[in-house]
Amino acid sequence: MGLVDIVKKGAFVDILRGMSVTGTYFVVDKVTVEYPKEKLQTYPRFRGVHALLTDPDTGDTKCVACMLCATICPSQCIKIVGEQTPDGRSHPAGFDLDLSRCVFCGLCEEVCPEAAIVMTRHYELATLDKNDFYLDKQKLVANQVYAHKELYAIPGADGGATDAGRSAAEPDGAAGRVPGQGAAR
Amino acid sequence: MSDPVAELVFLIIKAILMPVIIILMVAFAIYFERKFAGFFAGRVGPTYLGPWGSLQSFGDVFKLISKEDVIPSRSDKLVFKLAPYIAFVPAFLVMAVIPFGSVGGEANLFGYRFDYVISSFDTGLVLFLAMGAIGVYGVVLAGWSSNNNYSLLGGLRAGAQMISYELAMGFSVAGVMLMAGSMNLVDIVDGQAGAFWDWYWIPQIVGGVILFVASIAELNRTPFDLAEAEQELVAGHLTEYSGMRWGMFYLAEYVNMIVVSAIVSTLYLGGWRAPFESWNVIPGPIWLFIKICFLIFIYMWIRWTIIRYRYNQLMSIGWKVLLPLSIANLVVTAIVISVVG
Repeated sequence: MGLVDIVKKGAFVDILRGMSVTGTYFVVDKVTVEYPKEKLQTYPRFRGVHALLTDPDTGDTKCVACMLCATICPSQCIKIVGEQTPDGRSHPAGFDLDLSRCVFCGLCEEVCPEAAIVMTRHYELATLDKNDFYLDKQKLVANQVYAHKELYAIPGADGGATDAGRSAAEPDGAAGRVPGQGAAR
Repeated sequence: MSDPVAELVFLIIKAILMPVIIILMVAFAIYFERKFAGFFAGRVGPTYLGPWGSLQSFGDVFKLISKEDVIPSRSDKLVFKLAPYIAFVPAFLVMAVIPFGSVGGEANLFGYRFDYVISSFDTGLVLFLAMGAIGVYGVVLAGWSSNNNYSLLGGLRAGAQMISYELAMGFSVAGVMLMAGSMNLVDIVDGQAGAFWDWYWIPQIVGGVILFVASIAELNRTPFDLAEAEQELVAGHLTEYSGMRWGMFYLAEYVNMIVVSAIVSTLYLGGWRAPFESWNVIPGPIWLFIKICFLIFIYMWIRWTIIRYRYNQLMSIGWKVLLPLSIANLVVTAIVISVVG
């Protein structure tokens, strides 16, 4: 151990250097997002709970019961019962989705030729009742209020393009922080 | 004038107030420890209970009290139950000899003399060292009585660590003793009368640093928390403890931290004295409180910055660096004092 080392250790140089690092973190803006109070804005391609979009013109779902999503689903959690509408169009009479089996891979959304089934930005799905995980057609259609506006035109909100339409269709307030922006460092 | 009845009344008031104040300080020391642990890592720490989470420690205490008190069936039950108290009580006793204001002189309260110290004890420094040593028995006995390998190793480490650091502590404190010519903490503070350049931290800077480093080891805090090294020993001597018995150790740790901070500020930072003579309008207890808070902040800063030393590093720091340095400090102090007078 040379003289320089002895002086360095005696003056606690390395320790003070470490303390200056932690001291810097002491005063900078904190990176913590206090989750239930403030939420991060989800990314535009975030894969949350599913929704069935409806056609703004007819009010019926866009789904044509082609079974592609039920076929590609790796966990086989989608059950569709197709039927014919009076005007000769194919549509699902029943569309059941078992969230407790879903792996949120997003393949159903990818494969859908009508962009009918989409994954939304809603992710707070914890529940005390297991039955809440079985989504029927009604619940899936109701979920479309959570859909990503950036990717899909949302019915009932002027095509989802205007600002008024956006705020109307955003029930859980997208005023959260944008990811990565909270850490002002 | 000194009146025995008034003195007794004052003594009872002081003896009741002091532990209450210390317990309150401990509650907030624990809160700030957690808060600062977050701050030093760029997080926010507790935020839920009370404004800015400031009631967190009280929530902790309620949780600890409501938890089941598990006593291992093959432990030494009497010692197992006694150990938390052995760790807890000595920490308080040292506070009795620490002056937190002026002692002696004219009457200052309703025509009576109120001394800002519980006991102007002639060998106060020895009491501090002795109580520090007794407090270690709590840790060692806890480790022994738990009948658990991790606990025993933690207790043994605490014992070995204390032997190596108590020596350096005693020698560095002796330097102050020589300068003040007394072991009474009241006299030691009187010896530091004047502004902050008259305090003992300038002539005794080596001893002060040694005492500070040794006190971190005495307090079982990172980087010297070998006794409860989580990664190696689960929780060391605390492994088998649960509920409020564990909480007693935790409280003892923080009471010790406050007491040691008070001792360090009394010995080296002028105790209750203001940094400038003219600032003495602010009463002594507040200055002592500020100094204690400052030292506790430094302890926390160090704890959340430096990682734990290896066991052999700890031993070599204690025996090869701190002990020779403190002896040299004592010798030089003795020579200078005998030459200069």
